[in-house]
Amino acid sequence: MNTLLAILWKDLVSEWRSRDRVVAMALFSFLVVIVLHFSLPDVDPVEVRRLAPGLLWVAYVFAALLGLNRAFALELENEALSALAMAPADRGFVFLGKAAANFVLLAVVQFATAVVFGLAFALDLVPVAAPLAGIVALGSLGICSVGTLFSAVAVRTRYREVMLPLLILPLLVPVLLGAVSATAALLQGERAPSASIQLLIVTDAVFLVVSFLGFDYVLDE
Amino acid sequence: MMAIPDSAIDRGARALVLPTGILLAVLTGAWLAAVARAPVDAGQGIIAKVVFVHPPLAFAAYAGFMLTAIGGALFLWRGDEAWDRLARASAEVGVLFCTLVIVTGPIWAKGAWGRWWSWDPRLTITLLLWFVYLAYLLLRSFTEGNERAARFAAVYGIAGLAVIPLNYFAIKLAGGRAMHPENLRQGSLGAGMGWPFALGALVCLVAFAHLLARRIEVETLRSALAERVARAPRGLEHG
Repeated sequence: MNTLLAILWKDLVSEWRSRDRVVAMALFSFLVVIVLHFSLPDVDPVEVRRLAPGLLWVAYVFAALLGLNRAFALELENEALSALAMAPADRGFVFLGKAAANFVLLAVVQFATAVVFGLAFALDLVPVAAPLAGIVALGSLGICSVGTLFSAVAVRTRYREVMLPLLILPLLVPVLLGAVSATAALLQGERAPSASIQLLIVTDAVFLVVSFLGFDYVLDE
Repeated sequence: MMAIPDSAIDRGARALVLPTGILLAVLTGAWLAAVARAPVDAGQGIIAKVVFVHPPLAFAAYAGFMLTAIGGALFLWRGDEAWDRLARASAEVGVLFCTLVIVTGPIWAKGAWGRWWSWDPRLTITLLLWFVYLAYLLLRSFTEGNERAARFAAVYGIAGLAVIPLNYFAIKLAGGRAMHPENLRQGSLGAGMGWPFALGALVCLVAFAHLLARRIEVETLRSALAERVARAPRGLEHG
């Protein structure tokens, strides 16, 4: 548990000092929203409300990929990956600390993106803010768990920036489908269907377990 | 003298190459005869005979990925490289069968439903499986270091397998309109179609086993060679 908090604190503090990753993720996310807006000229508001959930999650996934690609960048650049591997700590908790840090950074970016999204597509997200935050959290949990695991994998391959999306996008389909269907219901003024929530919870649980156990085999010297 | 890896899997693969090859030849002959004799479908015409090819290929593609994931898991658990050879070979052969599924499917779909593609659950999951296979193989190519590549691929194989049932429920949830015929009931194929179908399934599984055995054999020899080269005193390569 101490390991988790130590890694989480380390990542958040180093990010706070430079703020480069979170700013890059946020700007990229905003640009994606704007490009999506331009990709749908003359769409009437009813249609937008139908398409919005998918578009929002596209922006979220792209921002997450950008952030996750840089998750182990500091360690790689400072040749600290071995240190992380050799640290006398349960690697599962190293993973949880890293994933938690990625989750927090992604959450900040997602909040900012939601604001920009609401403005760009003339959607009022405030009435559904709380349940939406819950759905986004569930989705991000899935994204950050496998994302952190395979970020550690991708960082050791050639073409690492391309490798991460190739690896995790097929895996993220259940997360996306659950999150988009739940978000769609919320934007239509209904409650999120329990099937979607169950799918998200089960997927998150499976991904957390696989990532927690798998990280041991992925972090090497 | 090259020390060829000698675990049960390597020996088994080498032993199975010839028997599976012979069996494959025999079964394929019987199967083609059965397919030729099977009645032509009244509604769909001759294109419906793809049913003797497409589902059997799919069985092999899914079996392949299960083997990849299980081989990877056993490699991580036991550390025996033979399991990794099995996993890798299974992925390479499996991706071939998966590609054939995705090619034969639309051929059938265009003939039967009038469109090349739909997002029904089974197609979508098979397409996603194909992408996972390809990512697995790319990961192996792009990772530096054989042992690391094996470990990374094993973890990815397990994650890829875990996601298949999740995807199934996810796609049903998203309302993927099922266009695939629901089947597997006794007698649902129609008279005269049972044997060609069963033989087709056997042919595909034996073909998979044959290709797998050959691939493992190649990989075994490659490992032995790599080890020999690594142990060689300097200058032997130029000798």
